[in-house]
Amino acid sequence: MTVETSAAVRNINVSQAIAESLRLEMARDEKVVVLGEDVGLQGGVFGSTRGLQREFGAMRVRDTPIAEMAFTGMAVGLAIEGYRPVVEIMFVDFIGVCLEQVFNAIGKIPYMSGGRVEMPVVIKTAGGCIGSAAQHSQCLWGTFAHLPGLKVVAPSSPHDSKGLMAAAVESDDPVVFIEHKGLLLQKAATFEHGADVPKERYVVPLGQANVVHAGSDVTLVTLSASVSDALAVAQELDGTGPSVEVIDLRTVVPLDLDTICASVARTGRLLVVDEDYVGFGLSGEVISGVVERLGPQALRAVKRIGVADTPIPAAKSLEEAVLPGRDAIRRAIDEVTR
Amino acid sequence: MSTPTLLERYRAMLEMRSFEEACQQGVPTREVHGELHSAIGQEAIAAGMLGSLREDDAVVSTHRNHLHALAKGVDPRAMMAEIFEKSTGLCGGFGGHMHLFDKRLRFSTTGIVGASLPVALGHAYAAVLGGTGAVAVGVTGDGGANIGSFHECLNIAGAWKLPLVVLIENNEWAISVPFSESTATPTLAERAPAYGAWGKRVDGLDVEAVTEAFAEAVAHARAGHGPAILEATCYRFRGHYEGDLDLYRKADEKAQRLAERDPLALTRQTLLDRGVAGEAELDAMAAAASARTAELLESVRRDPSPAPATAHDHVFVSGR
Ligand SMILES: Cc1ncc(C[n+]2csc(CCOP(=O)(O)OP(=O)(O)O)c2C)c(N)n1
Repeated sequence: MTVETSAAVRNINVSQAIAESLRLEMARDEKVVVLGEDVGLQGGVFGSTRGLQREFGAMRVRDTPIAEMAFTGMAVGLAIEGYRPVVEIMFVDFIGVCLEQVFNAIGKIPYMSGGRVEMPVVIKTAGGCIGSAAQHSQCLWGTFAHLPGLKVVAPSSPHDSKGLMAAAVESDDPVVFIEHKGLLLQKAATFEHGADVPKERYVVPLGQANVVHAGSDVTLVTLSASVSDALAVAQELDGTGPSVEVIDLRTVVPLDLDTICASVARTGRLLVVDEDYVGFGLSGEVISGVVERLGPQALRAVKRIGVADTPIPAAKSLEEAVLPGRDAIRRAIDEVTR
Repeated sequence: MSTPTLLERYRAMLEMRSFEEACQQGVPTREVHGELHSAIGQEAIAAGMLGSLREDDAVVSTHRNHLHALAKGVDPRAMMAEIFEKSTGLCGGFGGHMHLFDKRLRFSTTGIVGASLPVALGHAYAAVLGGTGAVAVGVTGDGGANIGSFHECLNIAGAWKLPLVVLIENNEWAISVPFSESTATPTLAERAPAYGAWGKRVDGLDVEAVTEAFAEAVAHARAGHGPAILEATCYRFRGHYEGDLDLYRKADEKAQRLAERDPLALTRQTLLDRGVAGEAELDAMAAAASARTAELLESVRRDPSPAPATAHDHVFVSGR
């Protein structure tokens, strides 16, 4: 549970921030219900629903059987009935068994009904690499973003996790909310940005990227856990190397091209760092969006790094070889500023 | 909730059939330019639903959904306009025949086999959360009963005692695959004990038998005893979709079934045998149903198509 302090702003970790946000949303709107595996008694395998069942009861915070098709589809019926379900898919990799419910039903019913049926559903899930190999390490935000009708959120800090979850729950559109497992497990005191979490409810709006480090030579666009890596490299280079502007997207859909383009218009260099698969994904989308808006002549250099269309391997030596870590970010900045 | 008489159910069946026949007319003309799945031959099941459901009960149907929509009380004009891809349709022409949504009546459909049941389960959970006493009916075909969600949903409904009625229309075929070759047990109703559910198999061509069994299934679920599985046997008289060459079945099998086991003919005979109505009265009833539907079709055909400029509307209800 949240550490009770008298201060209005505290250092709490990401899972606490999310649980606190859900608690505030559930208290303000009795139509918010949480469904998923181990979300009740245990409070989620990462603790991001901790304390909710005790406060709101086992009907509103429901431990489900391991039956993703059924409980994800339940969100559709619940939404038609006027509820605002938050469905937890323990790891985003498991979406394979219930993608049907997410993309054919939740994502499309508002459209197929001609706007007559809303789907205010949050699919809350954990992604990202923490050494669990190919079936427990994916990000997949690009996959969801590719499918029409879904908003896609991937926060990078405790502050944003709380405010973006509030935005997700109050959204009348469906939202896929991808928590990074590395961030969920990170200690509160070790966050370099977004560590202060106000106690009261606040909303970080969907579709507003955050410039976490100002710079003038390179625009580095990233999100989720990669933000702290990008920030660390940018800070390292401060004064000595190129000046890097780090943009945390916060949400993949809507994509804040305004903020990205305003930065690229100044720097002329674009680097996208994405922990998701490279091909046909977010990085290509960001780059083509910028080129379409600003024209190719606006870019002196462009590069993307991510997981190069390979499953995530198990051995640490192999895993480090495929992930866009700090060394890869340094090399990429070098390349675009050479 | 008044229970319709047999004569009223027969009238409903006539209207359902003429509705389906009217929809068929849009296929060769390309007014319905996608697949159309007709439920001709399955009218006794939908007509047997009449009278058991409250307005706040949910029905979640399949690709073969028109008759369940009519049984739930969805406006036939809005439905036909949707099927004919008109801007006046139930969903403004964005859904089409496989994707009908009526929020107020808690009626929806899906074109994905087996995907109706999880949605119905959500309605059933909402009924318990809100203490409304409503039930949720999830419809599936015999083919759809073999998809994993069937097991997941019935297990949850059984474990949590949710008011879920699974209505299986066993028309013996899933496209070209016969029921006997796809299913491990001779019936689907016999799966009920595995889920702590009520289960029954009923002759889905006998509207009175369906009426009684459906009422029982709904009463079981409404009383808080958990899920019910009602398997209604029937036969698909048309191809899987309009235009299906239907080469997997013998043509004379179809002809014989239609001649001997058409639910409309069977119900008419019962009415005649019991002296409820005479030939002339029943003929007039059929003619009136056809005339009403013909009028509806003519009127719907005059409606406009949706404006191309609206094609990107509604992706997000909050705007874009
Ligand atoms: C998940 C899924 N698989 C396959 C299909 C293609 N398909 C549409 S209807 C159908 C047969 C369904 O048979 P059944 O459930 O018995 O219903 P019926 O068509 O006989 O009414 C199939 C295979 C689909 N729509 N969804």
